[in-house]
Amino acid sequence: MVADDGGRGSASRSARVRPYALTQGRTAPGHILFVETLVTTLDCEQGEESALDAGRRDMPEVRAIIVLCRGVRSVAEVSALLNLPLGVVRVLISDLAAQGRISVYQTAGDTGRPDRALLERLLGGLRRL
Amino acid sequence: MDYAGSEPGVAGLHVPPLAVPNQRRSDGTPPITSTKIVVSGGFGVGKTTLVASVSEIEPLTTESVMTVMSESTDRLDGLPDKTTTTVAMDFGRVTLESDLVLYLFGTPGQGRFQFMWDDLVRGAVGAIVMVDTRRVEECFPAIDYFERSGLPFVVAINMFDGSPMYEESDLRDALSLRPETPLIECDARNRRSSAEALAQVVVHALRMVGAR
Amino acid sequence: MLRKILIVGAGQAGLQLALGLQARGYEVTVMSDRTPDEIRAGDVMSTQCMFGTALGHERALGLDLWDATAPRVEGVGVSVAGPDGTRAVDWLGRLDAYGQSVDQRIKMAEWLDLFVARGGGLVVHPVAVSDIEWYGGNFDLVLLAAGKGPLAGMFDRDSLRSPYERPMRSLAVAYVHGLAPRPDRDTGAVQCNLIPGVGELFVIPALTLSGPCDILFFEGVPGGPLDVFQGIRSPQGRLNLTLSLMRQYVPWEYERTTTGVELTDSGATLCGRYAPTVRRPVAQLECGAPVLGVADVVVANDPITGQGSNNAARCAAIYLSAIEERGERPFDRAWMEATFEAYWSSVAPATKWTNAMLSPPPPHVLDLIAAAQSRQPIADRFANGFDEPADFEHWFFDPTKAATYVTTLDGNDA
Repeated sequence: MVADDGGRGSASRSARVRPYALTQGRTAPGHILFVETLVTTLDCEQGEESALDAGRRDMPEVRAIIVLCRGVRSVAEVSALLNLPLGVVRVLISDLAAQGRISVYQTAGDTGRPDRALLERLLGGLRRL
Repeated sequence: MDYAGSEPGVAGLHVPPLAVPNQRRSDGTPPITSTKIVVSGGFGVGKTTLVASVSEIEPLTTESVMTVMSESTDRLDGLPDKTTTTVAMDFGRVTLESDLVLYLFGTPGQGRFQFMWDDLVRGAVGAIVMVDTRRVEECFPAIDYFERSGLPFVVAINMFDGSPMYEESDLRDALSLRPETPLIECDARNRRSSAEALAQVVVHALRMVGAR
Repeated sequence: MLRKILIVGAGQAGLQLALGLQARGYEVTVMSDRTPDEIRAGDVMSTQCMFGTALGHERALGLDLWDATAPRVEGVGVSVAGPDGTRAVDWLGRLDAYGQSVDQRIKMAEWLDLFVARGGGLVVHPVAVSDIEWYGGNFDLVLLAAGKGPLAGMFDRDSLRSPYERPMRSLAVAYVHGLAPRPDRDTGAVQCNLIPGVGELFVIPALTLSGPCDILFFEGVPGGPLDVFQGIRSPQGRLNLTLSLMRQYVPWEYERTTTGVELTDSGATLCGRYAPTVRRPVAQLECGAPVLGVADVVVANDPITGQGSNNAARCAAIYLSAIEERGERPFDRAWMEATFEAYWSSVAPATKWTNAMLSPPPPHVLDLIAAAQSRQPIADRFANGFDEPADFEHWFFDPTKAATYVTTLDGNDA
């Protein structure tokens, strides 16, 4: 059903062919950024320079996300803590993920509803509170 | 933090990030899973109180765009009579295991509009609809929405001081609840009571997983 | 440096353009208010019959994934209701190239999945005008392809190109299984039933989630006897009303339903109305960045001629070429204006024809429709006008040209 035309047409003439032709996608395609989806800046051990590449034309908001997400944060936390609309945060994080600068976690609901094993862990955790 | 003072979101850095396990995944990040439960109900019914009583951080607020169904039947755009509006959502966070974190989202949803919480409930474990017995009608839109969406939900009577007491069967009738929808009581100010209400959502979700 | 493009909206134009740009090496992000699964589970969005040229644009990008499974539309039939409940006119024009209607719930969901599988960035979030402000600085180009919603209000109405200020038809769509074929036809066709002064009923073969189906599509003159769907929310209620109106106004089509038709699914109906509007193509953000409107954000025609998805496919093809030709130069306001004008020159004929069909037909058009009954070339030329509306300029609008055309035909016949 799904045609692979990665090498077809003018894409093959372009010097700017996206790597998807070779890799079939970004490193972690298909994540929907739920409000509870966790994200974290990559390469944090190497210091600020790698993720905050001085040569990039990052907007201040993008730099703020990089800094905030040195810890693990949810999409909603990023939005609330940086006082940015949720839709804006989703776009910026999606972009950073595509550039390999932020890691996006899977959530329990990525495939629909959370499964039984997770629900049982949740129940145990809530009963211990 | 070196960017404090010149960057947006300085305040944000004072809310601690998640405590994470020591292990690392292949990309160097710690393994951790998140999920959420939605807390819904009319204005002033105790949604934020419940979130706050369980959350390990001060509840935060984010603004999001929501789809709302207008009550007006005068459609101008040829599409289902939906429109979008910006709404504020309160939420909290509770780490249940070192690699399992639960978010609690309070949804607005009373008044003239029938909110579509699709964006918020996507992937959720389930929902609590909180009811103030003095104003039961305010939770009708939420109950309607969750019944249609198929999301597991429980209805929780928030026990305010001085709330009138009713028989469960009378309340079920007043709320037109389906027989399978659990009706529970909780005191949103009390951490254990709130946690047990959330546990009941999970119990009901487990029941529905079993029924699938 | 990869050029980063944000496309707001996941419809025919937005996704065709996104997939086309992606294949050419651009870094594309699409914003949709729904996931692919939610699109599949939602309500129908259009009647979306696409003709040869528009299908060709999809084919060129390898996106014609339903060519083998969607029913082929080989012709366009026209019937005119007479005063006594019979057909005063009934003919079939043959299309040079077949058309097809693929339920956009299938197509957009699949295209979105394909876009993501190929590494595209999908952001699921309903978009507010205030959000758009933030995107200008982070992308080389922001395209607004979110249809007729509130975002379109960012673009000023072009009153010179918008002859109508209010909706000219009320729309009621129902996808059904079980419609009997016309006994006198062996080819699939879009049937246009014109009810003078009242409105139109279109019957369109299509592919939906549950297989081949037919779309019953009423267009009612506002305030008239077909403008009665407001307030009817249940899908079955809408179908029942559609059937009873068919019985009254187009009994020959109603007969096709008497063996029992049913809605294809619970999301199989759509009602509404909107004013045909052409807008200025560029919105200026407060940060100074311009945003380019796409397809029906900037040219929203009434669906009476079924040109919406065809125009969207044209728009995506034209914008794709313009973006590629732009190379590394900035997507500034002047480029946006010029790009839109290229699109406008392509869809102005469809807009002119569509707006003309919304008004009571002048005598020479009535004569042409009647003449097509006995002259097949007129019927065929009318049918192929759905694919290439620019041809109407040469024979349809102007009474003198129409007369000359018919005379030429008769001369050839003799």
